[in-house]
This record gives sequence, C-alpha cells and structure tokens, in this order.
Amino acid sequence: MIEQYTIAATPKYNFPQPGVDTTLPQRFLELSLYSLRQADGQYFQLNQQDTQQAGILETPTIMLQPLPLKPKFEETIVAAVDTSTMKIGETSKGIVIAVRGANVWKQNRNFRYTRLGPFIFHITEENKREVYNTLEKAYFNISYGCSHQGSPNLLQMPTRIANLLEKWLQKMLSKTISNGLILFDGSLTSGTADAPVQRIKEILGNARKKNDAVLAFSKATSLRTNGYLITDLLPHCEPPYLLETTGLKPKPPTVLLGDVYVARLGKANYAFRLDIDKEIPFQHRIEAVQKLLGNDLLLQSYPETLRLAHILCTFTANEVLAMQHFITCKYKLRIIQRPDMHRLLFGPFGKGESLS
Amino acid sequence: MKLYKKEGNIVQILSFPNETVEKGDYLLVEDADARKALIVQAIDVQFASIPGILEELLRTLPDGGELIQGEDIDPLEIAPHITYIQDASLLVCKIRATIENEGLSPSSSWLPSRSQSTIRKLSIPTLLKLARVDGKLPIVLGYTKDSSLLTIDASSLDGRLNIITGKKETGKSHLSKLLMVNLVGYKATVVVFDLNGEYLSLGMTSDGKRNAYYDKIQALTPSQNFKVALKQLDLHVLLGILIHALHLPGTSAREFRRIWKSLKEKDNLTLQELGETIRNWNCNQHVRDALFSRYHALVNSGFFTDNAAESTLLEECLLKAKDQGGAVVVNLRNTSAIDRQIVVEYVLGKLVESLTSWKVKAVFLFAEEAHMYLRETYWDDIVTRMRHFGIFTTFITNQPDTIRENIYRQADNIFLFNFTNEHDLDVVSRAARVDAETVKSIARDLPPHYCLALGKVVRDFPMVTKVKALDLKTMGETRLFFRNMN
Repeated sequence: MIEQYTIAATPKYNFPQPGVDTTLPQRFLELSLYSLRQADGQYFQLNQQDTQQAGILETPTIMLQPLPLKPKFEETIVAAVDTSTMKIGETSKGIVIAVRGANVWKQNRNFRYTRLGPFIFHITEENKREVYNTLEKAYFNISYGCSHQGSPNLLQMPTRIANLLEKWLQKMLSKTISNGLILFDGSLTSGTADAPVQRIKEILGNARKKNDAVLAFSKATSLRTNGYLITDLLPHCEPPYLLETTGLKPKPPTVLLGDVYVARLGKANYAFRLDIDKEIPFQHRIEAVQKLLGNDLLLQSYPETLRLAHILCTFTANEVLAMQHFITCKYKLRIIQRPDMHRLLFGPFGKGESLS
Repeated sequence: MKLYKKEGNIVQILSFPNETVEKGDYLLVEDADARKALIVQAIDVQFASIPGILEELLRTLPDGGELIQGEDIDPLEIAPHITYIQDASLLVCKIRATIENEGLSPSSSWLPSRSQSTIRKLSIPTLLKLARVDGKLPIVLGYTKDSSLLTIDASSLDGRLNIITGKKETGKSHLSKLLMVNLVGYKATVVVFDLNGEYLSLGMTSDGKRNAYYDKIQALTPSQNFKVALKQLDLHVLLGILIHALHLPGTSAREFRRIWKSLKEKDNLTLQELGETIRNWNCNQHVRDALFSRYHALVNSGFFTDNAAESTLLEECLLKAKDQGGAVVVNLRNTSAIDRQIVVEYVLGKLVESLTSWKVKAVFLFAEEAHMYLRETYWDDIVTRMRHFGIFTTFITNQPDTIRENIYRQADNIFLFNFTNEHDLDVVSRAARVDAETVKSIARDLPPHYCLALGKVVRDFPMVTKVKALDLKTMGETRLFFRNMN
C-alpha cells in the first residue's frame, strides 16, 4: 500500500470553470516518489535523448479540395495542450524518466499557462505495469492500455506515461473551456495503446457539450497521395486555406475520430495535417479554423498557443541537469558514465549510441 | 565549489549560489593526497556556461517581450534545483602561491586533483598569517570585505618606491595621509610636496583640536615662512635650480659659477650684490641677458631673501623631525609653475646634501602629482640614485600616464583605487609586481575609498581594503559652488 506522502500537492488545477474534478494528478506525484524510492542508492547513468511524441497512422487515399478561409475576429478562447517526456538516466534495474505537461490559453490577447511537473519516475520491468495501470485507473477510472496491448516495452514507457498525462490535460480542458477552441498536438487517431477510442471519444464528447471545437495539429505526417506527402501538395492559391481529404481508411483497430485536412494558415510555405472532430458540422469546422485565424498568431502556419505549450513543456538541458541534481541529492543515486561503446570501438568514426 | 580548469596560472572554479565568492576573495584549493594546496584569488566572476540556458531564458519571454503569465505546479520542487544550476558561477582565479610543508612558494606548476580537491574560502587574517604580513611596526590600512583589519608593516615601505593612484575622489590623498601620519608616529622623517595645501592641518583633528601630530607637522609655505638666504645655499643647489628649473644654458652657467665664486670670496652673497655683479660682469651680452632673466626669476619668486632672520633652514626642520619623527610639508599651493620647480629643486638638493652628509638618516618623500613640478631627469634620479641616499618616494597621482613606465616597473608597492578608463589601467598594469588581469579586473570594480594593495606590503597577495577613516583635518575636499545653496 502506498503511504501518504507529506508533500502537499497544489489543491486546485488553476483554470477557469470550477465545479469539475480538476485536482492535480496526485497519483502522478505519489507514484513518482514511490518509484524513485525504489531506486534509492543505485547507480545511475546519464542519458539524454530527444522527446518522442506519438502520432502514427497509415493507409492514405485522399482527394484535395481548397477551402479558402477568412479570419473571424470574434473573441474566442484558444487553448492548447502538450506534454513532454525525457529519459534522464538509467539505473541498474530500469530507467529514470521525467514527464511534464502544459496548458496554454489565449484570452483577451494575453497568453497564460499552467505547467504540471516535472514528474520523475523510476520505471523498472517489475513496476512498469503497476505504475501505468495505477495512473490510468486513477485518472480515467478505466484501464485500457495493458489489458489490450499486453505489457508495454520499458523504452515505450516514457511516451506512454506522457500520453496519459496529455490525455488527462485534454480531458480537463474539454471539461472547463466553453465556446472555445482546443488545440491538440498530433492527430485524432484512436484505437492505439496511447489513445483508446473511448477515451478520445469522451474528450471530444465533453468538448462538444461545452460548444468547443477540437483542432489537432500534426507537425509531421506520413500520409501520402500519389506518393507525395499531403502537406507538400499545395495549390497555387492565396493562404489561408484548408485542403479536404477524403477516403481515408484506417487499419483496424485504428479509428479516425476526426476528419483530416491540410491546413495552410499563413503566408509561409508550411502546411500541417489538421484533424477536426468528425461530429462537428462542416460549417462549424470552417468557422472554428477562421476563429483560430482571428484569435491566435499563426507564424509559419502554426498556432502560437500550441507552439507555446510545446515550448513550455519541453525539457532544456539545464532542467535535465537540475533533475539529475535533484535525484542524486534526494535519492542518493550515484551518477556513472557508462562508456559509449561506439566511441570506444570506433574512435572518431563512432557517432555515439544515440545517433547510431 | 569544484575545480573546473587550469590554464597557466589561471584556474576556473565552478561555484554554486550558496557559495558567495566575490572578486578579490581568496580561496584555498587543497589536494589532501598531494599534501599541497593552491592559494588562488578570484579576479573575475562569470556565469557558468550551462547547457540549455538560452532556451530557458527565451521561453520565459515569448509574449511580445513580456513575461508570460502562468502557474507552475511543481510538486517535486525541482524549480529550486533549476535555479541552483542556472545561477552557478564560474570563478576565474589567479594562482598566487602553493602551500607545501607549511611553507609558501610562488609555484603554480602542479595540478591539483579535479575530483578530490576541496575548495574553501580563505579568510584574510588566515592569509595574512600564512604570508607573514605582520611586523613590529603595524599600520592599519583599513578593513577587508570580511571585516577583518588589513595591517601592513611600516618597514615594508622602508627603502621602497610606492605609487598611490586612482581616479579623482576615490581616496588617494586620504591613504597617503594615513601612511604619512603612521610613519611619523614611528618617528620617521617625512617630506611632503603638497600641491593643494591638503596636508597643512594634519596636526589637527576634524573638529579643530590639536592631535598627537600637532608638534610634528611643520608646514613651509614658500615666500611666506619658507625663504632662503643666498649665503645658506650651496653653489650646486643654486646651479641645479638655474639649470633644471630655469633652463640656464651651459655657457651662462659657467659664467654664473665664476660670479658666485667672486661674490663668495668677498663674502658678499646677497641678492642685491648678485644683481649688480651680473650687470657689471665682463661677458658676452647674450650671456648677461640670460643671467639677468634668471636672476629676476629668482628675485620674483620671493623664495630668496637677504634677511637672515627671515630665512628658514630646511636642515633644521629635518633635524627636528629626525629625533621624534615629523613631517615637513612644503606647501606648493598658490605657487606658480616656475616657482614650484625652484622650490622643489631646492628641497631635493638640500635633502640629498643632508642625506649624503648623514645629517638625516632617511626621508620618506610624498609627492602629489609630481609631474607638475618634477623635471624629467629627476624621475630616474629619485627611483635609482636618490633611493640609495635614503629618499623613499611615494608618488600620488590621478593621471597614471604622467608617471613613466620605468617607475612602474620599479615600484615596490602600488595602492590602486578605482579606474574605469582602459588606458589608465593599461598604464598601471605595466608594474612589475602585478599582473594585468588582476589590475584590470579588480580595480575597475572598486568602490570609492576601496584600495587594491599590491606588492611587498602584502607580500604579493593583492588585497582589497576599505581605507580606514582618519580623525584629521584633511582639507582635501573640493571647493563647490552649490554647497550650502539650500
């Protein structure tokens, strides 16, 4: 049984609209501390890697139709969610990871944010299932992940836990924002271990009830038509516009809960895959994107609110050092530098393990 | 603190926010296994190069340059660790000495262990003890940053060439007065060339009462209470004045020598007779004109007199100071440039004469803004020849470039106040007993009345001190137009 820790969590998730269960993920904190205590005194290898964000979908068959857009300046709250995870080291039994999430919203021309974390977990083969299932059950009352997908790989755990936090943050936004735009990082693809259909449906359903529109931006896509990436096939047309795609058939059990568009929202020659909730009427979707144009900055065709969410949750090298300092100070983990075998064997021709 | 890098005699030390080290502080880098320790001095404090710091700073300002408003929910309290790392600093330190077998050596040739060395602050009293900066004749210069006293030994000024420099209103004169009265207190003979009449009232306290030095300070104001009769002058002293101060050509100087000898034989050495003799002397007209113009310069200075009762014997003043210590303050205020040079030539000539004949043992000479009255050739004389006679000079100036480079090279002690001008710092950093980095880095940030002491007085361990206040009527304050206007 997990004991009650003395560290008091901030009692209320600071966002408009009280009256819903928006308390800080206390279980995140408890499990974080519990897992770290299990690592007490072990060796710890520093290891910095880039963040990994989820978002996978295949089987594209699409048609392109340009839909011109006009910015709509009607005052609308724009909110965005993003999370980040990073492996900050290894112990003899597992890995130490950090997770952080951020909500950013733009209201009355001002950006505000709430940042949760970092939460640090010590994940081992022994505790990975327990950690994941406990968190999932605590925040979504239902555990989909491990029952469907079996035991997650240890190296997938950082992404899985970050996704759990992201979904929780999305759920909170969908419950608290009214008449607004909610921006997700990634797609509205469901039916994967990280995005169970029911969970995404619940989030989208909550948003619709509050008259919100969910717009999911993917920074990169693998969808192709005639062998070309859909975001590369831009017509000679004055932006902003959307390109509609049709005929997408995802492989089961993957389910698309949004319709997929290519959005070129600024003069810059960048376009992004944009998923918009399927259940929203077509006219409302167009209106939502036009409200986004009128209420948010769109430098390089990408919403500033979502960019800020990403920036705020990303770990800098300085923070990684600080977290390593924290766990070495608090949990007496001893830092060791394992030799880089690539460097060791190949000298200047070895590019390092992370790049190999 | 952690040892990060060593290049030559510079070490870089990583310091964390809870370890406050400032420029000028001393640190001890101890390597227990090697049984050695380095004494290093922080000459610069920089931000440590932390990876990711730029991103960290940039993301706090994305909202049109203003701080983005928000809330950080950080239950594990990582934020203090982030700021702890962000605020880490890099101390650039100069190696001053190595401690080995309880002795000090200036060596920096060994490398302490980066992982095993311990680094701690070295208090000034401990350092003074280690460096044996003590003695029987203590002079309290002031207070160091850790509120301990910085005490030097008066004997470290004995036989030395000292320079006190810094920009104006930083406290140079104050320090020279402090040194002067302390030397007088130890029965030393001090001569001061007082350009602004600042030293005249050192015998009084700030509230106008007599102090312990009252009877030891003799103020001599040329052409007032300081006059010289020709009879008391040696020919070579007067020739010195004529040649060096009044630029008399060699041919004319030879004629003057003959005139002088003629008058002396007749025991008729008066100003009036000198004038008459030049007028009637059988010589080239140009020579006569040259001699006459110098004669008038001597007469017009008011420094020379035929009245023996009016004349003051400098030797007597020096002898008075010899037994109980004392200062002869030559007040050069309100004296023209030519007259100043005449007086200085006379005083220096008489000093050399008195020292050569062992009437006076040694003299501490304090020369403020010496370029205003010291001829070119005297600089070398003072630092080389006159030092052997027993004239130990302290130059005080706010224009360091007026002191020649060879003077800096030979300076034993430098008391450096604040300078911000790069050129001034360049000049001072030419001194042999100091490294340019220390001078440039520390002197630039010295607050007023703080002085960086360099050289033998501190056994080559540069130390910053706040110069002690003096209860003396200093008269060094600048006259202000707007004072008391309200």
